[in-house]
Amino acid sequence: MCGLSFPTDENVIVGLTRADDAGVYRISDDLALIQTVDFFTPIVDDPYGFGQIAAANALSDVYAMGGTPRTAMNLVAFPIKSMDLGILRQIIQGGLDKLTEAEVVLIGGHSVEDKELKYGLSVTGIIHPQRVLTKGNLRSGDRLVITKPIGTGIINTAIKAAMASRALEDTVTRLMATLNRAAARIMADFDISACTDVTGFGLLGHLAEMVTGSGCSVRLDSGCVPILAEALEFAGMGLIPAGAYKNRDFRACMLSFDAAVPRALQDVLFDPQTSGGLLMSVAEAQAGSLVSALQNGGVADAAQVGAVTSDPEERIVVV
Amino acid sequence: MKEIDARSLACPAPVLQTKAALQENPSTGVKVVVDNPASQQNVQRFLESRGFKTVLAQNGADYLIQGHAGDVPADQPQPAPAASEDAQKIMVLCATDRMGYGDDELGLKLMVSFLRTLKEMGDELWRLVFVNNGVYLTIDGSPVLDDLKAYEAEGLKIMVCGTCLTHFDLLEQKQVGETTNMLDIVTAMQLADKMINV
Repeated sequence: MCGLSFPTDENVIVGLTRADDAGVYRISDDLALIQTVDFFTPIVDDPYGFGQIAAANALSDVYAMGGTPRTAMNLVAFPIKSMDLGILRQIIQGGLDKLTEAEVVLIGGHSVEDKELKYGLSVTGIIHPQRVLTKGNLRSGDRLVITKPIGTGIINTAIKAAMASRALEDTVTRLMATLNRAAARIMADFDISACTDVTGFGLLGHLAEMVTGSGCSVRLDSGCVPILAEALEFAGMGLIPAGAYKNRDFRACMLSFDAAVPRALQDVLFDPQTSGGLLMSVAEAQAGSLVSALQNGGVADAAQVGAVTSDPEERIVVV
Repeated sequence: MKEIDARSLACPAPVLQTKAALQENPSTGVKVVVDNPASQQNVQRFLESRGFKTVLAQNGADYLIQGHAGDVPADQPQPAPAASEDAQKIMVLCATDRMGYGDDELGLKLMVSFLRTLKEMGDELWRLVFVNNGVYLTIDGSPVLDDLKAYEAEGLKIMVCGTCLTHFDLLEQKQVGETTNMLDIVTAMQLADKMINV
């Protein structure tokens, strides 16, 4: 996008100047709109599951800003000449059911013919202008909390290699289709300084986004990160998506790994996630009760995974 | 040494091809050529996870990974001796623990006799695979357990379906053969010259 200039106006709370999970625009003193859009090619073979995952993924960016999604519109690219329309129907049904679960209403959409199937949604949410959570305000002393386990990219690679069990496929599909809604609701009662969701850049990649420009550094306790056990096993066998290596190369200069962190674990920390959990920084004194509240509120895998330190070099130290 | 050209193949194909090559020639090592760093690192990780030492070289835009057998840990199954060049590879798949239908007692007698007579195939008997009820022949109490153990000691590779063992809750009771999965079974079917389904 170099060379393009983007006009803005004074009501843009979050825009392109410092890109975040979604855009936020003030409507009045106590109301702002959140807008986000996400679409992709199939993540899983089951069309209904794909629809569910795409919807959960699109809604997640609103939750990551601290907002409440309200309406959505479908984006469809479909090879109508070579694929049965019944497949599209199942995808849309999956998306619709997920929206209903989130109490979000579908108010339109657009479709084009395309050789390659894609599905996603544009989502609009609302938030109080003073309560917007961005990636950008890490505070030294805060604790890092994550709400879903990682490893879905590696396991999806193992599924492509026909090396994952059916039960594991179902687990991963369910995980990716899980809304971040409960986590977002609970987090609203706590002193959260920064928040994002863990998606294509992997846990370390998204953490790096939070660190850049913050004037702080972080320590990640790798042993505390919730990880799908099979992901470690498959990582050891080299079933790692190319994106993980790209993620690592991009952030290599900010990182240092303690020698005791096994290579397979390092690989999983960069594994690109689809529709991952929320990653937030919370005031130190509240970290324990935030994790308890999340676990008791249906976010069973929530865990404290590290701390924000005062080192101004903006480094990530993984121990 | 088996050479694999995995250039222009999308992940996870390079790892899968390397795996298949090792299945066929477990001890001789393998050379793999890929055209991107992600595949190079994945293939290296895979080979190292199997106990191979790897050497990496770059040839223009391509990466050449050589894996030679390092010290094989004691608890890994020893590789079967390679069959002679002219011998065909026969795979026998036992999908149940009886031979034929009609009378189960007779069926078991026939299966026991069949498995004991298989040794007449000599070196050409290359893989013996057990799925579904067939896995019962590999557990404690099986009438052919000693015969199967003898085959295994002579170098025959016996494969026992893991999904089936788990289904019958017999994972701990298997006494002979390697627990395997459908990918290995399908690969063996592809590599076999002849497949006998019982």
